[in-house]
Amino acid sequence: MRVGGIGARYAAWISTLALVLLATALGAAGVIAFRESRLVQEEIHGAVAAARAADEDAALRGTGRYLARHLFNALYQLDVERLNEEIEQVRGWLPIESFLVLDRDRRVLTDGTTENARYGDPFAEELPSEAGALQILRRGSATEMRFVVATGGVVAGWGVVTLAEAPWQASLRRLEARTTDLWAGRRASLLSIGAVACAVTLGLGLLTALRLSRSLARPLTEMSRAAGEIAAGNLDQPLTLDSPDELGDLARSLNRMAGNLRAHEDALRAERSDLAAKNAELERFTYTVSHDLKSPLVTIRGFAGLAVDDLAKRDVERVRHDLERILAASEKMEHLLQDLLELSRIGRVANPAEDVPLGTVAQEAVELVRGTLDRGGAEVEIAKDLPVVRADRRRLLEVLQNLVENAAKFTAGCPSARIEIGVRSGSGEPVFYVRDNGRGIEARFLERVFELFEKLEAGSAGTGVGLALVRRIVEAHGGRAWAESEGPGRGATFCFTLPQRGGAAAVPTPAGPPAAGSTATR
Amino acid sequence: MLRVFGELLARLRERLAPAGIEVGDLVVAREVDDLSQRLVRGEVDFVIETVFPTLVLQERSRRLSPALVVVRRGQREYRSVFFTKRDGPIRSLADLRGRTLVLQVPRSTSAFALPKAELERAGLSVGPADNGTADRHHVRYVLALSEINQAVWVLHGRGDAGAFNDGDWTALPDRIRSQLRVFHETRPVVRGLLSFRTGVEPRVRRLAEEALASLDEDEAGRAALAAAVGVTRFEPLTAADRQELRGLATVLRPGGSAR
Repeated sequence: MRVGGIGARYAAWISTLALVLLATALGAAGVIAFRESRLVQEEIHGAVAAARAADEDAALRGTGRYLARHLFNALYQLDVERLNEEIEQVRGWLPIESFLVLDRDRRVLTDGTTENARYGDPFAEELPSEAGALQILRRGSATEMRFVVATGGVVAGWGVVTLAEAPWQASLRRLEARTTDLWAGRRASLLSIGAVACAVTLGLGLLTALRLSRSLARPLTEMSRAAGEIAAGNLDQPLTLDSPDELGDLARSLNRMAGNLRAHEDALRAERSDLAAKNAELERFTYTVSHDLKSPLVTIRGFAGLAVDDLAKRDVERVRHDLERILAASEKMEHLLQDLLELSRIGRVANPAEDVPLGTVAQEAVELVRGTLDRGGAEVEIAKDLPVVRADRRRLLEVLQNLVENAAKFTAGCPSARIEIGVRSGSGEPVFYVRDNGRGIEARFLERVFELFEKLEAGSAGTGVGLALVRRIVEAHGGRAWAESEGPGRGATFCFTLPQRGGAAAVPTPAGPPAAGSTATR
Repeated sequence: MLRVFGELLARLRERLAPAGIEVGDLVVAREVDDLSQRLVRGEVDFVIETVFPTLVLQERSRRLSPALVVVRRGQREYRSVFFTKRDGPIRSLADLRGRTLVLQVPRSTSAFALPKAELERAGLSVGPADNGTADRHHVRYVLALSEINQAVWVLHGRGDAGAFNDGDWTALPDRIRSQLRVFHETRPVVRGLLSFRTGVEPRVRRLAEEALASLDEDEAGRAALAAAVGVTRFEPLTAADRQELRGLATVLRPGGSAR
């Protein structure tokens, strides 16, 4: 049995209850036994006393002498009321069947009753004549006692007392009555003690049940409430029950379950949000791609039709012109499709992350677009303090190549064109940038330049995928990309961040289509 | 006694409380003198007693005024009966001259004061048997302490006649009553009296009288009255009652033999 567990607690409580019950029963039995022994002692004393009184004649004589003396005054004064009171008292200790008090004329003065029905009746039988004399007559089970009520030679009258039974029988009867009373008393005692014991047990039982129910029901109620909260989706209210038993285990399990559910829910929410964003992006992408691919197709169809007409006219020059336009539109479409393919690769192909010296990569990027730079006449400056970053080297090169190429385009023709590749401190993270002093961007287009096929200058070279590609790669690394400009003619700065080293070991593979926004070349 | 009258007092408190009258405690006086002194000191406001003690208190304290009749066990008034042996020679009060009358105790109205007053009204002189008077016209009396003793004493020749109230006569054992004969009855007197101390404020007295007289109108009041030694109700004293009381007061001259 687990120490401190529910089983142990139950056992402790039940043991306590049993001990209390046992103590109560033992206490009751003790009280009863004690009382019994006392009562038996009293019985024995009574029996001994009764046996001593068995010398019946002696006892009767003693009684007669007492009555003769005791009734004298009342009888002499003919005080019937007092005589009746005396007789009533004697009835309390002798089994009186009848008690007649006779006056000096041997007539009944009183029979001790209120009705006094025998008043005046003459008593015709023999009576003792001398003071102190006593007659005892046996009549079946009854005994009659006749005595002179006299004092100092003065006779006031007689007493004639009939006892319904012998005194020893009366003693036995009294004993029997006493025993009956005792048993009745004992029964009453038992009932009282039983009632008290029941009340005590009931009270203790109730208290125990109350404590048990509090001890058990409270955590269960708490857990039920918590389960209800979890079922209702409220996972932020942990159970506070800190119990060493199974209930505590259950509470902790519930808390863990709620925590897991919460984590899963957060992940699901994030994924759902991401999915929704990607859906929206896909919609935009589909629309943009179909729209931008349609444009060269229209061109091709138009010039194909013109070429047919020009052939009919046998205008070779016009036909050549038409075909050249058709070829140009085809090339443009091919570029578009290549860029799209590249963009989609970012989401599907993951290269292992590695430590990449950003300065070296920047230099490579500059070399790759050297032709464009030279045509535009821009100078490039690469900061010397560019750090080593953890990234997909090839993709990082693409980012810098696109940004430098973009800067070269928009500084072309500008006097003292200059492009800087550097790093600055952001809010707790390094911000890499490619800054130019070219034609700049209106504030309202700062975000739009990252959208797919978006070109701020319609006649500019490129497909409008480059900046979209940049943002896509940076975000795939867990960073951010944005544009800054103080306005047209004030140059532009394209910034991006990358996670600190020690972050992702490989470039994550975002699900969904490539970002529908995109860069555009200025 | 406190318990017996306690309920009556409680009901009276209930009825007088709305009038702002506070009912005090119950006093049980052992003797007439004690009660008389309490009346003089103003410690007692009203008294319930039988006729004779009331007249004695009135005489001694000069501060008592009977107000209501106490009807007990349905009996508004009673009378005393004079009885003798069924075959005895006595036929009238006049026959008691020179004989012995068995009375009860001096404080009893019906078994002492009233018979004594009746004899005196009839022109007979009455005195205790042990004062040595040998006047053959004098009526001597002995005291038997209880009604049953009075009857037995007459039958056993300790006296020639006895006197107590008609209710006790009826309650005698048949065997005894059958051997006796009533030869005279007094005029009726009221069973008991409720009297106010003369110093009690008239408004208080009037309201208390009204409250007491109306106690029997509801169950709780009747129960309280019954608990108080079997009182049935309180009734206002009539002019006839007052006339009779005046007559008795004159004849009884309390203060002599009564304690």
